Amino acid sequence: MAQFLQAAIIGLSLGAQYALLALGFTLIFGILGVVNFAHGGFYMLGGYVAYSCVALLGVPYPLAVLIAVAATAALGWVFELFLLERLVDDHLATLMLTLGLYLILSNGLLQTFGPLAMEFRFPVSGAIRLGPVYVPQENLIVLAICLAAIVALWVVLYRTDLGRGLRALADDRAVAMAQGLRPKLLFPMAFALATGLAGLTGALVTPILALSPGVGDPVLATSFLTVILGGLGSLQGAALAAFAVGLVEAFCSVYFGGSIGALILFVLVLLLLVFRPTGLLGRTVRGA
Amino acid sequence: MKLALFVAGALALPAAALAQSCEVKIGAMGPMSGGAAQWGLAMLSATELAAAEVNAQGGLKMGGKSCKVTVVPYDSKYTADGAAAGSNAFAAQDIHVIIGPVGSPEATGIKPVAARNEQIAWNAAYAKNALETKYPLMFHIAPGPAAWADTVIKRAMKVFPMKSVAIIAPNDQGGTDIATVDAAAYKANGVQTTEEYYQRGTTNFAPIVTRVLATNPDVVDTASSPPGDAGVIVKQLRLAGFKGPIGRLGGPGTDEIIRVSGGIDVLQNFYWFETVPTDDPKVKAIDDQYRKLLGKDPVGGTSVWADLPAARLTLKAIAAAGTDEAQKVAAALRALPVDDPNLGKGYWGGKKQFGIAQELQFPFGVGIIKDGKNLGVERQEVTPE
Amino acid sequence: MRNRISLFGWPELIAVLLLSCGFFVPMFTRSVLIYSVLNQVFIGVVAAQSVWIMLRMNLLSFATPAFMALGGYTVAIAGRYEITNAFVVTAGAFLVPALVAVPLGALVLRLRGTYFVLVTFVLSEIVQLLIFETPSLTGGSDGISGVPPVTLLGTDMATNRQVLQFCCGIAVLATVVTGGLTRYFRQHFAAIEENEILAESLGLVVWRYKALGFVVAAGIAGLAGFALVSMLLTAHPSSFAAAIAVDFIAYTIIGGPTSILGPLFGTGALVYATNLFGTHGQYAQGLYGILILIVMLVARGGIVGTVGLLFNRLRGARR
Repeated sequence: MAQFLQAAIIGLSLGAQYALLALGFTLIFGILGVVNFAHGGFYMLGGYVAYSCVALLGVPYPLAVLIAVAATAALGWVFELFLLERLVDDHLATLMLTLGLYLILSNGLLQTFGPLAMEFRFPVSGAIRLGPVYVPQENLIVLAICLAAIVALWVVLYRTDLGRGLRALADDRAVAMAQGLRPKLLFPMAFALATGLAGLTGALVTPILALSPGVGDPVLATSFLTVILGGLGSLQGAALAAFAVGLVEAFCSVYFGGSIGALILFVLVLLLLVFRPTGLLGRTVRGA
Repeated sequence: MKLALFVAGALALPAAALAQSCEVKIGAMGPMSGGAAQWGLAMLSATELAAAEVNAQGGLKMGGKSCKVTVVPYDSKYTADGAAAGSNAFAAQDIHVIIGPVGSPEATGIKPVAARNEQIAWNAAYAKNALETKYPLMFHIAPGPAAWADTVIKRAMKVFPMKSVAIIAPNDQGGTDIATVDAAAYKANGVQTTEEYYQRGTTNFAPIVTRVLATNPDVVDTASSPPGDAGVIVKQLRLAGFKGPIGRLGGPGTDEIIRVSGGIDVLQNFYWFETVPTDDPKVKAIDDQYRKLLGKDPVGGTSVWADLPAARLTLKAIAAAGTDEAQKVAAALRALPVDDPNLGKGYWGGKKQFGIAQELQFPFGVGIIKDGKNLGVERQEVTPE
Repeated sequence: MRNRISLFGWPELIAVLLLSCGFFVPMFTRSVLIYSVLNQVFIGVVAAQSVWIMLRMNLLSFATPAFMALGGYTVAIAGRYEITNAFVVTAGAFLVPALVAVPLGALVLRLRGTYFVLVTFVLSEIVQLLIFETPSLTGGSDGISGVPPVTLLGTDMATNRQVLQFCCGIAVLATVVTGGLTRYFRQHFAAIEENEILAESLGLVVWRYKALGFVVAAGIAGLAGFALVSMLLTAHPSSFAAAIAVDFIAYTIIGGPTSILGPLFGTGALVYATNLFGTHGQYAQGLYGILILIVMLVARGGIVGTVGLLFNRLRGARR
């Protein structure tokens, strides 16, 4: 029983981490129609920016997280405005552009910070113990920030003019443009919002786990899995799927081991997609 | 700016090559990008240092001429095809001697190709077939657990009595080939063993830790998990309330594990295998030597120290053979006494495990951290087979 | 001329001719680098063609490594039983993945767009994990080394030269099959690419062509796996990691997805670049990234698209 509870707690904390990553990924896909291969790069960059602020400049950690968000958002904005925007309607071209950016980002970080893992610690540590079960405190903080981010993003998308504009562009670009919405203004903003979220995740999660130039690689696969399962472009779907993936991963790994656990997770994803081809909450299908 | 640097780098290589009339090129191969980059970059740093030492003495004596040694790196990306392509790329540049590659997949890929290309290659893989009698030009740098696991376990058991151990390793060849040998060594010492494999690329080990702790082991061993992963495993083991000692019968990287896990207090009780006796001031002096000759810091941590003797010995063998032709260098290598200015006396081993005595064995180290205090790395002498 | 369905058009003919030149390369040079790069190009072209077939139907597939693994391991396991006859193993490397693709296609072809991308990626991950979990059959994480060379008319394809010429033959074969398929069903594929729902409503039995494309693409990928294994003499799981699918997709897109020459030129350019950058060690990955960015920004529609554009412009200028 204790093991079961523990797996559930781990699943939820994994879910929070995946949700933060998936939100940005689904935002970019839903609004721009771009599969962002550089998502893991922004996650890593967020971690390194926060690390540099704390370790080299002596900035307090919460402020460092904010700086990391600003830096990754700024890079995302510039990248969208000057490079991605030129080819934004060509899905294959944007795939390649973001892939190129990812390779440059991860290689640049490797050159700058070296291959070894950094000493980067979360300011809060320790676990709350309830009998045989424990809850790490830092995971609670990430969970809280994750829920806040979901709410904030929902507010931005559904309660502000910016959000209305973005959703209109996502629904039907031609009609939205005819009504005077300007993608050249809004797209970089959406992209910056999403990469800022990836940076936020990196700044929050890398001190809890590890920070080295390889940590961006698994991010793409996880975000991709989560977003598709949730239904592309669906905010609620992505959040729901993130916690589902987290829980499945936790239970499979605890009861069947890491390697077979991964196999089970993938087979489940395959089956779910076959029987529900648009994900949990998705409705429409976009071209590749 | 970055672009300018890259372009400058791309242009600098051929220009440097033209400047010298008599020149010997040797290859340095390994993963230089991605998650395993540190191993390949360590191989490169070690080769650069050995070359710089020889060049500082006026170059390598070959057939009456003094030749400048140039190091050509190749990023083999931790894959079999990457290493095979690298061997061919080196062959095209007339390179017959390769320091590297590192990973088991790379070793598997380079063996037949380097044999076809008549190249010496020094792999540092812990693979069970790192050397084979049918590939006599293949040499081996870092002896696998078959050579040292028993010594480390016996030493650890004196400090940390144990009845059961759980071994955690990645599910690919880099994990399984070490973990299975470790497990056999633990069993031979009367310790009950379970093996647990995780999917390479896992970042959060909390589920694995929960599963492992359910078997209630006295000790958890992180085997050849990359140091970053091992650091997270340690952190999450302690967070889950595991109080027992943690072992590491895999590779170097203890400093990194301490950094990632949150400090030596978190680690508490730890024992590990070091490829070289890292506390020896003479061994540590290698980094100073690198800084002095190359004007920058070596990359890749203590692996540089383990890879260096192979690079040095190979250059000596080229001088002894008077050529960099693989067959002759190999013959010279086998005949040279194994002695390194920093590491001391070593031996050619590997006959017992691989049937071919082309494995460089030097004194290694066993490190112990007890109750949050680093007791240091003990030097373990090796005995000739 | 336009209305007649011909099995071969100019692009297909040029592709086959260019690839066939590889057969004569050993007569002019013994350079190991040229052999090595060409070998990688041949393997890459075949894998990229597998991606390209699916792209003709607007489906981006990450399943290439999975089917490559099936083809490659088929040959490696056949080698264990001393089956090395070139015709038999080539047929096996094509048919085994193609047959596996039949039931798989029935499952995954219901998906479109990015959902298809993910499901094929998951397939590649599953195959990789299955290899790890079946050590008695596939050698598990250690792979199968010492695969015997294939025998063609009683001769072992063992030397560098023979391996190169054999890989060249595989690439030509794959191009003929790919070219034939996409030419013969050009209008059907184009209709599916343009608007699947419209095509279906106009009476085109869409699933039949998609299934056919998927099965052939799987077989072609199997041939790529076979060529890779016969070059390395090893079937190793690291050669078929899901992440390498990105390479083949890059070959296809950088080359230009509009014509069969795209995968060819894209593979040629990127494989050459990989080898060139490889000797810059730690900068290799970054240089590769910069190259991809530049090509995409400068050459819209990939290499072939841009060359075609320039060609048309030149012709227009002359008139």
